[in-house]
Amino acid sequence: MPIHEKSLIRPENLTTHEELVLDGVDVSGHWSTFIETRVVKDYNESLEEEIAALPGGEQIHRCWQCGSCTNSCTVNAINPDFNPRYWIYLIRMGMESELLRDKDIIWQCVSCNKCTYACPRDVFPEGVMKATSHWLEKKGHTPKSPSMHFDEVFTEQIVATGKIEESRTIRRFFARTKQKLAQPWMIEMVKRMLRGLPVGLLTRMGLATLVAPRTSGWGSASAAIQEYIDEQHEKQAEALNLAQLVETAKQDVAA
Amino acid sequence: MTKPVLIVGGGPAGLAAAHSLSTVGKECVIVEKEDRLGGAPILSGYAKLVPSGEWARDAIGGMVKRAEGAPGVSVETGATVTSFDGEPGNFTAELSNGKKIDAEAAILCSGFTHFDSVNKPEWGFGTYEDVVTTTQVEQMISSGDGVRCPSDGRKPERVAILLCVGSRDRQIGREWCSKICCTVSANMAMEIREELPNCHVYIYYMDIRTFGLYETKYYWKSQEEFKVKYIKARIAEVTSDGEKLIVKGEDTLVKRPITIPFDMVVHAIGMDPNVDNPTISETFGIDLEQHGYIDVGNRYGAMGETSRPGVYVAGAATGPETIDDSIAQGHAAAMAVLSTSADFSKTA
Repeated sequence: MPIHEKSLIRPENLTTHEELVLDGVDVSGHWSTFIETRVVKDYNESLEEEIAALPGGEQIHRCWQCGSCTNSCTVNAINPDFNPRYWIYLIRMGMESELLRDKDIIWQCVSCNKCTYACPRDVFPEGVMKATSHWLEKKGHTPKSPSMHFDEVFTEQIVATGKIEESRTIRRFFARTKQKLAQPWMIEMVKRMLRGLPVGLLTRMGLATLVAPRTSGWGSASAAIQEYIDEQHEKQAEALNLAQLVETAKQDVAA
Repeated sequence: MTKPVLIVGGGPAGLAAAHSLSTVGKECVIVEKEDRLGGAPILSGYAKLVPSGEWARDAIGGMVKRAEGAPGVSVETGATVTSFDGEPGNFTAELSNGKKIDAEAAILCSGFTHFDSVNKPEWGFGTYEDVVTTTQVEQMISSGDGVRCPSDGRKPERVAILLCVGSRDRQIGREWCSKICCTVSANMAMEIREELPNCHVYIYYMDIRTFGLYETKYYWKSQEEFKVKYIKARIAEVTSDGEKLIVKGEDTLVKRPITIPFDMVVHAIGMDPNVDNPTISETFGIDLEQHGYIDVGNRYGAMGETSRPGVYVAGAATGPETIDDSIAQGHAAAMAVLSTSADFSKTA
């Protein structure tokens, strides 16, 4: 549905009384269908700052709503509901409830960065999409996405060893996303590698799978990187008021 | 030396005209109906001016001091012109205080009247104490008291500024754009955010007309540095739930009705023609244009001609005008007078 019509009637705003008699007239069932108002009741004033606190969202305040991002968008061409300009507007004005209606579409950004080049104000819309996806995850509105799991597995490994050992990355990624490792394409790939690769290379790969290789003297670098990452996470958690969120959730559980 | 020039109105335009005439040794008389000079910026207690950022009392107050002490400038306050007869170079004006002035020419610098928000009752002015005008907020800032809700003196946490109140509104016969309210509102929003960093300011607009260089200095600066929010919505009504003001309208960019609570609503009031214009028109025998401002004659020969030779006009008497341009027009009208004066012109 085009964006300007989407707002008109939403299924959750339709109410129907199974049994209803008004002034002696039976209006049960669809005769009593009523459309509730779709009014925005308030702004969440910290929403823009929260998005701006996440990597990629820093320049969102520059947007002047020209629509270059949406017009250049790869995903929008296929899914007209994918509208970066619209979400940027909602975020800037603090229309959180409206933004959440699209939480299952926002992650679809393919990071082609056409919008990044089209944007006359250097808003970096692709970054804003990424920040918004992360915001949705951090606030618990959407589950952790597969790409987020991958990023985490990848980063953890780099921080720990200073190197990437692909089979380990893949194994952990599959484990965290609860996918079976023994998938037909994987079995086929391993078979062909065994057949085609030189013995020396195969031996080294096998050893690396068993004993994770590590950059020598990595300890202090690893500690420094980890410290920085922790700092950033702490800052973001503070900006997004995540502690409060956890507290509220605990109270809800207790109640 | 021939007769002095009659200047009607002691605001920015009139003060500029008087200064110009004084510097070349031409006498003039400023007739001001209020008890002091300065015009709207002084009488209405404006705060910092656009675009200089100087306080009105310093900037325009300085012009008042300069004019009052200038040689050849005399001032009649608390007086209006009741009759004006004669020919160019030989006019006679009678004042309400009984004085008679022989004048060579007249420059009308009679300015404008602030729109009275009571004429838009749906926006709550006069019904709710916390609905105020930009003029009132200017006074809150210039007095040093700060921006506070009039009802209980609390610091507002959320302020809505409604643009085009009394401008671009055919319903109430005001079809003109008052030109400066967008910029003034953007400036005011920044001043509010500066004084009250926890107060969120929303500007409800039809279009934003921060013309020329004001785009960067006010429109973008207010958004980028001061986080002022601009929402494209013509407000339907301002009501109250007993605690907060409720602003109703439609956010037209997302096609969504809005009912948002606010602590304070500010009307960005426009410039009406001076309420005295019909009287001025009759007294001086000059035409008004269709909206009720003083009609400007030839725009490309001499500056500020009216429909009557020897009577000139400058500033917001001709239509909504900025302070800077009013001052420029005051100087220009003085030059137009001099160019036809036997004392100065080689061609007159």
